[in-house]
Amino acid sequence: MNIIVCVKAVPGSTEVKMDPATNTIVRDGGASVINPFDAAALEVALRLKDDAVRQGLPCRVAVLSMGIPTTAELLRDCIARGADDALLLSDRDFAGADTLATTYALACGVRRLGGADLVLCGKLAVDGDTAQIGPELAGALDAPCIAGVTEVLEVASGRVCARREVDGGAAVAEAPLPAVLTVSKDAAQLRMASIAGVMAAEGARIEVLSARQAGADPARIGRAGSPTQVVRSFVPKADASGIPIEGSVDEQADAVAALLKEMGI
Amino acid sequence: MQGVKPMTEEFAEYRRDESRTCGAADTISFPVSEHELRAQIGWLADHAPSASITVQGARTGLAAGAVPCGGHVFNLSRMNAYLGLRRDRDGGYHLRVQPGVVLSELRRHLRSRSIPAVNWDPASRAALDALYAGCEQFFPTDPTETSACLGGMAACNASGARSYRYGPMRPHVSALRVVLATGEALSLRRGACRANGGRLVLVTEQGRSIPLELPAIPSPSCKNAAGYAIADDMDAVDLFIGSDGTLGIITELELELREAPQAVWGACCFFASEESALDFVIAARPALKRALAFEYIDGEALDVLRGVRTEGGSFSSLPNAPRAARACVYVELAGAAAGEVLEELKLLSELLRAAGARGEDAWVARTDVDRERLRLFRHAVPECVNTLIDRRRRDMPSIAKLGSDMAVPSECLRDVMKLYRDGIGKAGLQSAVWGHIGDNHLHVNILPRDEREYARGKELFAHWAHAVSAMGGSVSAEHGVGKIKRDYLLAMYGGERVRAMARLKARLDPMCRLGRGNLFDEALLDEVAAEMQGGERP
Repeated sequence: MNIIVCVKAVPGSTEVKMDPATNTIVRDGGASVINPFDAAALEVALRLKDDAVRQGLPCRVAVLSMGIPTTAELLRDCIARGADDALLLSDRDFAGADTLATTYALACGVRRLGGADLVLCGKLAVDGDTAQIGPELAGALDAPCIAGVTEVLEVASGRVCARREVDGGAAVAEAPLPAVLTVSKDAAQLRMASIAGVMAAEGARIEVLSARQAGADPARIGRAGSPTQVVRSFVPKADASGIPIEGSVDEQADAVAALLKEMGI
Repeated sequence: MQGVKPMTEEFAEYRRDESRTCGAADTISFPVSEHELRAQIGWLADHAPSASITVQGARTGLAAGAVPCGGHVFNLSRMNAYLGLRRDRDGGYHLRVQPGVVLSELRRHLRSRSIPAVNWDPASRAALDALYAGCEQFFPTDPTETSACLGGMAACNASGARSYRYGPMRPHVSALRVVLATGEALSLRRGACRANGGRLVLVTEQGRSIPLELPAIPSPSCKNAAGYAIADDMDAVDLFIGSDGTLGIITELELELREAPQAVWGACCFFASEESALDFVIAARPALKRALAFEYIDGEALDVLRGVRTEGGSFSSLPNAPRAARACVYVELAGAAAGEVLEELKLLSELLRAAGARGEDAWVARTDVDRERLRLFRHAVPECVNTLIDRRRRDMPSIAKLGSDMAVPSECLRDVMKLYRDGIGKAGLQSAVWGHIGDNHLHVNILPRDEREYARGKELFAHWAHAVSAMGGSVSAEHGVGKIKRDYLLAMYGGERVRAMARLKARLDPMCRLGRGNLFDEALLDEVAAEMQGGERP
């Protein structure tokens, strides 16, 4: 079985900086981490691999990302934790991509890796928060998608069966392989790297491909391939002004009620 | 007096600290400045001249140093301002803070370059600009409890895991302001006031000279927070650090900052036996030049963690230690770049193999997320043990956890471990051992199941205090002596030396009011105070 896990580098801090000119997140400078949802997806993949190895079955886990060159180190960290292969799509032409252009690029990456029985993504990324990549990638790969997976119950006989979160409960879904799964953050906690893993990862090859090398159509990647345009982004300004209310408790309560009425609330 | 309040039920929590012992007091105040504190001392001198004075910070201490012994409580948690920054000739930074500044806040401000610089003078502001423009700075002392405040940390000469590399709090304090029980103030800068031939002369800001004849009390050659640090040529700053609030009230500290290492990796290594872990530590300490810390968790403590993991709740997310592991050593490595640390990790891997452990079973934390997970893993141990004991106390309120804080010289590590194991085995007690094995400083915790076990545990600790002292060790390496380890101080130094320390205290606090009950029992304090009254007066 071949599993590809799509991982995204997200800011390590909650203090996200925006580029006022392009209205996109500034991704260089600060430390990045693996998107926590993708980390859960990687652990799900590694557990499937552990199961397969226990049964004497071949299984490889590859990690795939689109990002700036330093993202290669995050992919190396994935190898230290147990992934076998890594592919990074890195090119200025990929920059400014919306989810459609991103999934097109990732689909190119999946094909470059030779395809997969399972493609796992985090349910969403903590910076963009769209939850669109997985389902769109399934569309790009013409594969079924199970979204919001909390547990993979079985992968056998060319099918995957998974428990997924739904409003007010859980549901079990089944899909033929190849399939795309988007994984909930609580599905699993990514294992620590071992010393042996870290040392093995140091010598591992992280394949880095440009858009051209990945065989991507320039019109379908980056800003050029993104129909979504952020017109304006801004940080809302807090209004700390207030109206002092004095008097007895009853007088203050009356004053608050009058104010609310005046504001039409 | 403004700010001095009766110790009503509203202030009940200020009768306790993390030692889980409870005291009593008549009044309490929360001064926000040295000026206010001195005014309140003056008021006490007029209205309650013999009242004992207990100084509190964040009350995170484990030796009951902040538990009041009657009289008045000065809680300094509201003296939490950042006062200024100085740059020395070598380019090092020294941050001046009030004693109530909390360690976790200090770290956050240093990391995020957001030190509250309210009302700072131009020189401090210029130094701050330079600090922000340069490499990240940090304060290296790292007790487990990061809600501790800097004043309290200085009072017990706190240390923590990284004291293996950086030593305890003492060398990282470059200046102090101290208010004496008399209300006089001392301004002490490291290097400016040193003892000569065992004689130290302090001069208060009010112009009084206080000559001190320092008793000859050799310090152990290991980590130590028991009693006063005394040396023939000692710096006056060092006398007040680790004095358990008995000599003066620290009202300002100047902290020496250091450049933060760029790469810090943690490695949690697991062993099939305690013997293998000891072999590893003894071989790794001289070999790993970039190690910041060596921390230990024994098999019983790992079992406690395994148990709480399966109970669900917040501990269920802890990483799961390998099933066969009966000991764990956490090693923290630091370097200017990841490549340097990787080389050290390779060496660590070889050392593991030589000790019969596997690199495949050792966790490495290189990201903030992983470092935090390993921090939680290590810190969950005392938390879980406390929870376990709290459960037992519901049925048996008279028992408590017994936790040791003893350290020995490096060559005695195997001996002291054998001492602990033999004692626990012979007494048939349940235990959990963790702590700072790099400094030969382990917290042996006895978890009594009934009152008889509690009594046996106390006997065992008293025996260990003598045995560890005979090895040249310390009965308290980081928690301080406070009120609950006074007997161990006697075991370590003997009655005459403890009396000499008490006399030294009485030179600065003639009525022995400050930190009463800490280090010395009250009868001894009454005796030396009477000596002072009969002899030379300040």
